[in-house]
Order: sequence, then structure tokens, then C-alpha cells
Amino acid sequence: MLSVGASKSRARTFVVAWLCLQVPVLARAAEPLHVGRSATTEASLARDRYDVSAISESHAQLFRRALLPGPNGSLVSTDTVTPIYEYVRLGVRDVDTPLKKDSLDLELAAWARSWLGERKGEGLLDGDVQTASVRLRLQTVSVRLGRQQVFGGAARFARFDGVLVEARVFGQLELSAYAGWHVLPRWNERRRYEHLGAAPDNLQRDTPALMAAQRGQYWLIGGRVAWAGAGRQLGLSVHEQREPLGLARRNLGGDLRWPLSARAVAGGTAVFALDRRRFADARLWLDLSPLEELDVTLDFLHTEPGLLLSQQSIFAAFGPSEYDEAGLNARLRFSEDIGLDGALFGQRYADARIGGRGELALRVRVGALRRTFVRLVYARVSTGGNGYHAVRSSLSRAISQRWLATAEAYGYFYDQPIRGYRSSSVYAATLSYEPVAELRVLCGASLSRSPYAELDAQAQLRISYALGVSSGGRR
Amino acid sequence: MRPSPSSASFGWLSLGCVLVAALVACLERAPARFPHKTHLAAVACGSSGQPDCLSCTSCHRIGKDSDPPRGETALCRNCHAKDAARLTSALAAKRELHSSQISFNHDGHLALAEVRGQCVSCHGGVVSHGSSMPSMQQCFSCHEHAEQWAKAQCTPCHSFSDLSRTLPRTFLRHDAAFLRGHGALAGQNKALCQSCHSQAQCNDCHDISQELTLERRRPEQVQRTRVHEGDVMVRHALEARSEPSRCVRCHTPETCESCHFERGVSANRFGSINPHPPGWIGTNATASSLHGREARRDLVACAACHEQGPLTNCIRCHKVGAYGGNPHPNGWHSGQSSSQGMCRYCHE
Repeated sequence: MLSVGASKSRARTFVVAWLCLQVPVLARAAEPLHVGRSATTEASLARDRYDVSAISESHAQLFRRALLPGPNGSLVSTDTVTPIYEYVRLGVRDVDTPLKKDSLDLELAAWARSWLGERKGEGLLDGDVQTASVRLRLQTVSVRLGRQQVFGGAARFARFDGVLVEARVFGQLELSAYAGWHVLPRWNERRRYEHLGAAPDNLQRDTPALMAAQRGQYWLIGGRVAWAGAGRQLGLSVHEQREPLGLARRNLGGDLRWPLSARAVAGGTAVFALDRRRFADARLWLDLSPLEELDVTLDFLHTEPGLLLSQQSIFAAFGPSEYDEAGLNARLRFSEDIGLDGALFGQRYADARIGGRGELALRVRVGALRRTFVRLVYARVSTGGNGYHAVRSSLSRAISQRWLATAEAYGYFYDQPIRGYRSSSVYAATLSYEPVAELRVLCGASLSRSPYAELDAQAQLRISYALGVSSGGRR
Repeated sequence: MRPSPSSASFGWLSLGCVLVAALVACLERAPARFPHKTHLAAVACGSSGQPDCLSCTSCHRIGKDSDPPRGETALCRNCHAKDAARLTSALAAKRELHSSQISFNHDGHLALAEVRGQCVSCHGGVVSHGSSMPSMQQCFSCHEHAEQWAKAQCTPCHSFSDLSRTLPRTFLRHDAAFLRGHGALAGQNKALCQSCHSQAQCNDCHDISQELTLERRRPEQVQRTRVHEGDVMVRHALEARSEPSRCVRCHTPETCESCHFERGVSANRFGSINPHPPGWIGTNATASSLHGREARRDLVACAACHEQGPLTNCIRCHKVGAYGGNPHPNGWHSGQSSSQGMCRYCHE
């Protein structure tokens, strides 16, 4: 199935390199998990105690693909590919420093991809560092340096290389400030992206206008001030992001969380685009727990999608397509083993179009050993034009303490046919084996039939290691 | 119309899976639990001719290694000498699994006046057929742990590596609307969230540089609600039309175009068919045209193909002095100078 001929030596090199990468992990896996827990000598108690968490995931997929239907829908040849992905995540917590005990944390997350066999134009190796930061926590101040994320408030979600300083003053006042260069979305710069021409009423992409990314010109800065006390929180934040052509976004954010009683909490968030003087996003919610077994969240959202994008996007100059959304989420727990989730939302778009979406999910853990889990979901989406009914049934069964099997089936039934099809379906199954607590091997496969594929079959193999180590010293 | 995949077969398959699962699960029997209550309270003991009274420490070692006894049958044989085989199999039964390891000072707690040396003060579940481990709520009924709570410090009771795998069931339980509002919560409670979750975990969903979605990486987590569920590629236009904000929170329009281009369904690709109907663009500024109305209805759909930065084809017609007319909506206001950024491409 897999043609390795010409790339055999390259594949071998890759496999050897991959195995070398795993050696330290495998060696570590052979050791007892909690090495320090049995060490009770005074010497071990006196030393620094820190936690290390290391996760490695290797994925191998196998599928046939056709990169295009071809110009004017022409048929093209398919190729069988086996991409290999490696994900690594490392976290170290509570390391002592000369400044303070338990004050240093480290985080690293990265992925890499390569190919076995055919890879038609794809690079042999690809990858990215997702997070690489070190955090120093002192009494009321913490500083994080490196590749990190800032989330919530005016920033919404931004990854950047830089520094974040957080402080708590006067007991209840929280201050934070950050600055750095934002991490460019690599997906936007895919290889083999060529601009060959266009249909008559479309200008072709003007390549001189597509400037090469200069990291120095993509920067961001922001901060947040918040008051928190007795479960109440009130925050105000600002975020400015720049691109080579100018301002990408300049937002003012507000957030509120206010308990009304032991069973009701109100809250809200808003992102105000300062340069446009419009709300990009505003959400109000009310969390209710009328019964111990019932959680309900009432929700209202007003949003303008265009303002969530960079203002250097064409959205910035052409009108908004705002819409409002209101509805609720609910979760009812009949017992620890049976629960019901529901959601119902309605949308009113700027063009007076009305849409809606709803979902009802039943989850049951069956049997005396509670090893079998069943989930049934029905969902309905209507956009004012087309829409669909969806059914998802999921089954998970712990065959033994080491073996776990899952099976899922999805069905979608469209109001209006898509490419002539009224429905599509996906079937997936996995079988995983956990020889030791730290290691899990998973095999999975999926089959689907859809308007875009008569038959789509994929298989994957995943090997994951999750190591948690406490050094065993005394805090 | 082309034949559709059979919805009936899908329905039967789903129903069959559920029935088989329920049937198999109903047939299973839980292994007998060790009858703690019988041994600790019901059996007559202590008098002459009776066995010695048992306590928790008769079998369990108190301290860090407080695992249940396994294979230590000498004490048991005092009474159960005749059914050694049953005894061995009972002791070999699987232990109750706990979601996390707690770092806990048993000696200190047993010495407390409220506990009075009684293990069942916390582990009452072993005699009432519940969980042998106390709930976190039970811990907090004596300890407020206010200082740790304020600092969102779950350690040293919990270890960080365990926390990242532990689901909160009572405290900090994630409710049904959690997925929808978790961003705001994370912004408000950074320290609290980061006591269990590392920033790296955010990347599972939020790093769009990676090609493997969470659905592909964790196919066995069938209990999760997923963002890109099932054959999302077929439905993506519908989803974008239903909740456009949800898409653009993570994806930029280039995401759409790069994919469409590769698959030959982009107007920017040589040889593609013009997807627009006749009358899409009028012959002059006053002629009727369809594209303006559609752009007002669903600009996100336009930008999926036509988002080309500052030299977009929209500007060619709609710049000041060109024949396309003013594209701005009523009430349009920008705080920027017209010599800056995007403005200058039309207002030069």
C-alpha cells in the first residue's frame, strides 16, 4: 500500500532519528513513576520538591488523498501518504530559586511533521514551537518570558514572543501588562501556494502586495486591571496589535463576574473596537443552579465578525455583518452515571435573516462496573437558508483495565442537497492498549461518505507517553 | 440527484451499537467488595472463643503507602482457614481506581480531635458501599484552605502532573456552557486555571499552525463535545453562515482561500469556473448588481476568496473617484486618519 522505493533511505533516517528522540523517554518510562514518594530520608525531604510533567505523542496516519478535484472538476490521480506527527509537551512546576521557594515554572510545547513514502512537494520536515516560556513567581508579582499566550478581555486570544508581568496589589487589585511580537499563523503561508490567474471578474492576487512577513513589524502590547473580592470580579483591559501596514486592532475590553446568590452568578464580557467605536463582541450571561443536579446558563451575544479580524483585512473597510444570538445551555445530572445536556440558541442576522441551533445529548454510564459509556446526541442547525439535522452516537467500553475500545457514528441530514447529496455519514473506531500507566498505544480508523467523497478511509496509529514525576523533597 | 448514503443503515447501526453495549454492560457483575462493615462491626469479637477485634490498621498500613493489603492472608486465615481459595481470589480482586494521588499526612489527621483516630471519619464509604476515598467537599468541611484557595494553589495536596489528568467533579466543575465561555473565565482566573492546565494545553485547539485537529489527535475521547465534529468540511459553509464569529475567532480568510485554492475551487486559480451568476457586477455605478447585496448579507463568504489585503479587487472599483461608489455602511465612522493603514488605498 505504501510506496517507499525512492524515499526508503530517507524514511529509514527519519525512523532512526525518531527512535533516538524517544530513547530518553523510554528509559525514563522504565523507572518507577513516583520516584520520590518512597524516599523518606531526611536528605530527600530537605531537597527541592518540584513536579515534572512530560508528554510525547507520536501519530502516524495513513490515507489516500487527491489534492484537488482538478480544474473544472477534472479527475486527478490520488496518492497514498503517511504523515508522521510528533507532539512534545514538557512542564516543570515549583522549582526553587535563590529568590524564593517554589518560584520557577517552565513550559515547552512543540510539534513536528514528516512523511513516510510519497510526499509530493511537501517538505520533509515541518514543525513549530507552540509554547516555550519560563515563569518566575515572587510574592505578589510574576513574570513570564518567552512564547506564550494571553487570553480573555481585549486580547481575546493572542500568541506572542515577549514578556508578561502580573501583580497583585492592595490584596484585591490585579494588574497585568504584556508586550512582544505576535506569532504569525503559519497556516496562512502554505507551501506550493501559487497565483496563476483568475476568473474575469476577479483580480488575481497581486504578489507585490503580499509582503514577506517581517517579524519586527508584527507586535502587540496590552494590559489588564481587575478588582477581585468575595467572588466578584471586575476587569478592564486594553490590547493593541500592529502589522506592517498599520493598526490590526485596538481594543478595549471589559469583563464582569458577579454572584447574585449562592445559586446565581451574572457575568458579561465586551470587546470594544476603539478605532471603529463599535462593539466587536459583547456577551451577557447568567449562570443558575436552581437544583444541585441542574445547571442552566442563559446567554446573549452581540457580535460583528469583521471586527474580530485584523483591521488590515478588507473587512475593515467594508460593512459589518453583525448578528445577535440568545439562548441557553443546560445540564441535568440524574445521577453520577446519567446526564442530559441541552442547548438552544437563536440568531438574528443583520439582513433580518433568522437562524437557530439546538442540541440534546444524553450520556449514560452502564453496568455494574461502569465500564461502558454511551452518548447519544441530536442537533439541529438552521441558517435561514440551508440547515441540517445531526445525530451522533458514541460508545466507549473499557474491555479491561488495559484495553479500551470506542466506536462513533455521525449522520448529517441536510435540508437542501449539497452537491446533490442529502446526507453524509462518518464512522470511527479506536482500540487502545495501556501496558503501563505512562504508555498508551492507539489504533484508529474512520470511514465516511459525504458529498465530497464517495468513500473516505483513514487509519492512524498513536503512541503516547505521559510521565508525571515529583521530586519527593519537602515544600 | 445522486444517491445519498443510506440514512436507514446509519440509524440501525447506531441503534445496534447502543443495544449491544447496554446488553454487554448489563451482563457484567461487579466483583464482591471486601465486606468492611462485617469485619469491623458485625462479627462478634474480643471475648473468649472469639477472634481478636479488627481495626483498619489490622490490614492497612497508615502512612504514605496505605494501599490495601494484597496477598497478606496470614491474619485472614485465622478465621478463613477452610476457604483459602476464595480468600486468595477475593484479595486478588482489582482495587478501586482513584483519579489522582493525594499527598496527605494520615498520622497528623488521625491525631485530630475531630477524627479521634477513626479512619471511617473520612473513609466512611467503605462501610456504606460508596467510594472509599473522601470527596474534596469532605476535606473542605474541616479545612477551608482559604489561603491556598485564594492563591489557586492545589499543590501540595495534588501534584501538578495528576491535576492535568483529573476532572473536577464538585469544586470547579465545568458546566454545560463552559466551552462557550471558557475564554473569558481563563482571562479572569488565570492562576486558578493554570493550577491544573498549562498554557501548552490551549494549543490543542487554539494553535492553527498544526494540521491535526483535536478530533484527530484524541479520537478515543468520545465523551467530548468537539468543535470540528464529523465531516466538518462538508458543513463548513453552513457553520460559517450560522455562526460566522465562531469561525473568525480562530481562522483568517486566508485559511479559507489557501484550502480552496489547493482544491481547485477558488476563483483565484487558473481554469476554475467563475462561481458568480450573470449580473453579478453591473456595467456602471448605477446599474443593478448582485454582488453588493450579497456582500452586505454575508461578507465573510466574500472574504473567503477575495480577502487579498490592501490591493483587493474591491478597492479597484470602490476607491474614491472610481465608479464603484461608497462602500461604507450608514453611520460609518473611523477614528483613523485617512492617510493611515487601509484608508490610504482609497482615500489617497
